Amino acid sequence: MNSVSLLHWILFLPLGAAAFSAFFLRRQGGFAAWLSTFTAFVIAALALTILTQTSEDIKWHYELGKIGGISLGFGYLIDAHARLMLFVVSFVAAWIHLFSVGYMKEDEARGRFFAGLSIFMFSILGIVIADNLLMTFIFWELVGFSSYMLIAHYFDTDFAAEASKKAFITNRVGDLGFILGIALCLKIFGTLNFAELKLQAGSAVPIALGLLLMCGFLGKSAQFPLHVWLTDAMAGPTPVSALIHAATMVAAGVYFMARISFLLAPEVLHWMAISGASMAALAGLCALAQTDIKKSLAYSTLAHLGIMGCAIGLGHPELAVLHMAMHAFFKATLFLGAGSVIHGCHHEQDMLKMGGLLKKMPITAATFIAATLSNCAVPFLAGWYSKDAIIEAAWHGHDYVVFSFLALAALATCLYSGRMIRLVFMGAPNSKAATHAHESPWTMTLPISVLGIVYAVGAGFAANILIPHSSLQIVEESLKEISFHLTAPATIVGIISLILGFLSFKFYGLFTGQDSLQKISPRTYHLLEYRWMDTFYNWYIDKIQRRVAELIVFLDLLIINGLAVRWIAGGTFAALGHVSTAIFHRGKTRAYAIWITLGSLLFIWLLLR
Amino acid sequence: MEHTTLAHHLLLAGLLFIIGLSGVLIRRNLLVVYMCLELMLTASTLALVAFSRFNNTMDGAIFVFFIITVAAAEVAVGLALIVALFRQRKTVNSDQLTTLCD
Repeated sequence: MNSVSLLHWILFLPLGAAAFSAFFLRRQGGFAAWLSTFTAFVIAALALTILTQTSEDIKWHYELGKIGGISLGFGYLIDAHARLMLFVVSFVAAWIHLFSVGYMKEDEARGRFFAGLSIFMFSILGIVIADNLLMTFIFWELVGFSSYMLIAHYFDTDFAAEASKKAFITNRVGDLGFILGIALCLKIFGTLNFAELKLQAGSAVPIALGLLLMCGFLGKSAQFPLHVWLTDAMAGPTPVSALIHAATMVAAGVYFMARISFLLAPEVLHWMAISGASMAALAGLCALAQTDIKKSLAYSTLAHLGIMGCAIGLGHPELAVLHMAMHAFFKATLFLGAGSVIHGCHHEQDMLKMGGLLKKMPITAATFIAATLSNCAVPFLAGWYSKDAIIEAAWHGHDYVVFSFLALAALATCLYSGRMIRLVFMGAPNSKAATHAHESPWTMTLPISVLGIVYAVGAGFAANILIPHSSLQIVEESLKEISFHLTAPATIVGIISLILGFLSFKFYGLFTGQDSLQKISPRTYHLLEYRWMDTFYNWYIDKIQRRVAELIVFLDLLIINGLAVRWIAGGTFAALGHVSTAIFHRGKTRAYAIWITLGSLLFIWLLLR
Repeated sequence: MEHTTLAHHLLLAGLLFIIGLSGVLIRRNLLVVYMCLELMLTASTLALVAFSRFNNTMDGAIFVFFIITVAAAEVAVGLALIVALFRQRKTVNSDQLTTLCD
């Protein structure tokens, strides 16, 4: 089989599995689970075959037709970025599928859940291999849909239903900009194909184009000001948070920006760097004031997405994609670890009620701590190669504002990591649930071990063995270019942060059963809880958007409804008096039909006269 | 036939449209009226497809896809209305449904 037909299989296999599960396996959840998981592993194997067997770009295009001179195409483009993304998505997803088999074992609606996971796989793989903007957009909307569906898995609870709506609507706001960007791109270049765009895009790309296309990224990757949905999206099942809201979908925004980075004007890049870095610092600090383990991790994801966006802004898209890959490994492990903890503690998500789980859940604890160290960028672990390299790139490019924000983000990462480990795994159990915690079954511990120990930690040492070599070449060049090494300024900042992180680990041991920061400085804690952005949006919708809507309703009632319909129709009626009831308004359907026909004929006659 | 031209197709579409229209005007059974309405719609889509075919563009054909989709939704609603009407009044004869003028 050649690589193009392998790509067909990769793309359409999950669609088939999703359709089959959705139509026939709604009540056979167990079978749907294994079907979906099996498919995911087959996809991973096929993707690995492609990545190890081929080293040059794969291009394939099929033209569906032309509308108004615009060619609508369906095609694949596997370049260096796509290779790495394809590997990460298929590989991480396969293990998360296996994890879900254990995690969702007692769920009634497993069939729907796994059908959702498969349709998500179809959508995200479509984004990864798409060769034009329109196809990307279609799959972009499909991931939005599957994300919506999976967040709302527990749709009988209010917060899940509302979180899914919030995610969907916020993403639509970003996508409006995205589709306008596509239209503008078509107007300027006359094509939507990535390869052709790359040839045509010169040095002077309009700022507006970059800004509009960036809107899609802001929504999907949850960047300022559209970041409010991601933390609420944690209402979905934990494997969904791991796969969609940490490892792949939110990173797809970063991947997309890396793919079209030649369409971004320098001003846009500069904005991305500043906004990404400040977002990273802010979100990192906010993670300190969350008691829900998943929400804390969600803020951490926001911070890392900010760092990736910043890397693109600094002109190093390959580092952004590398960080996306490393982040996918360790953040998926962290979320799956959190899932395992939640499962073990009988669905307790409050970190303050956990504690002492190191002895009760040794495998989960070991992998979680390993992934945390990678998250904190301990030298030679996966996170160090990508995150500190980006910080170093800021230093190398003499962008000291960005550098200091990123350094603050690195510090915040170490602080909340220390807090999380202390509260969850150390000390004594703080609730009945934590006392009776138990280790999870193999379907859950195997995936976290593979992703955590092998990839999050090992990928730093042995990236060339563990990740297909052909997907890493550009990254190596980039790392050499910014001369990244152990005694670089970024690493020194990182090591200081690690020491402070260890102090935070000690700090959070001061009080049991409550948050030390909240105890010492309630005001700081409250500020970091980060409610004011939601408050602002509520105010905006209530006070501004609603007023505008009310004005439009008023005008509609006055002009269309009142003047045009009521006055004219009612006026005619009144003017004709009794005649109208006798001829026009007889109350018989056929009479009306005849009048409509005669009216239409009169109208046509007037037009053709 | 060897020479089917655009005119043939349009003639057929026009005939279908007129058949549908006369049905709407003449028949009293709402269900049949409804079918005739659909026939008129189909006639217009046939014309669109013919234009698409003879001008070698996709525009008309794509239009038809949208029309079919909307028509499917509309049929569902329309039939449901007729069924609901029948349950209320025990008739679907349009001449007996004259509450408005009484």
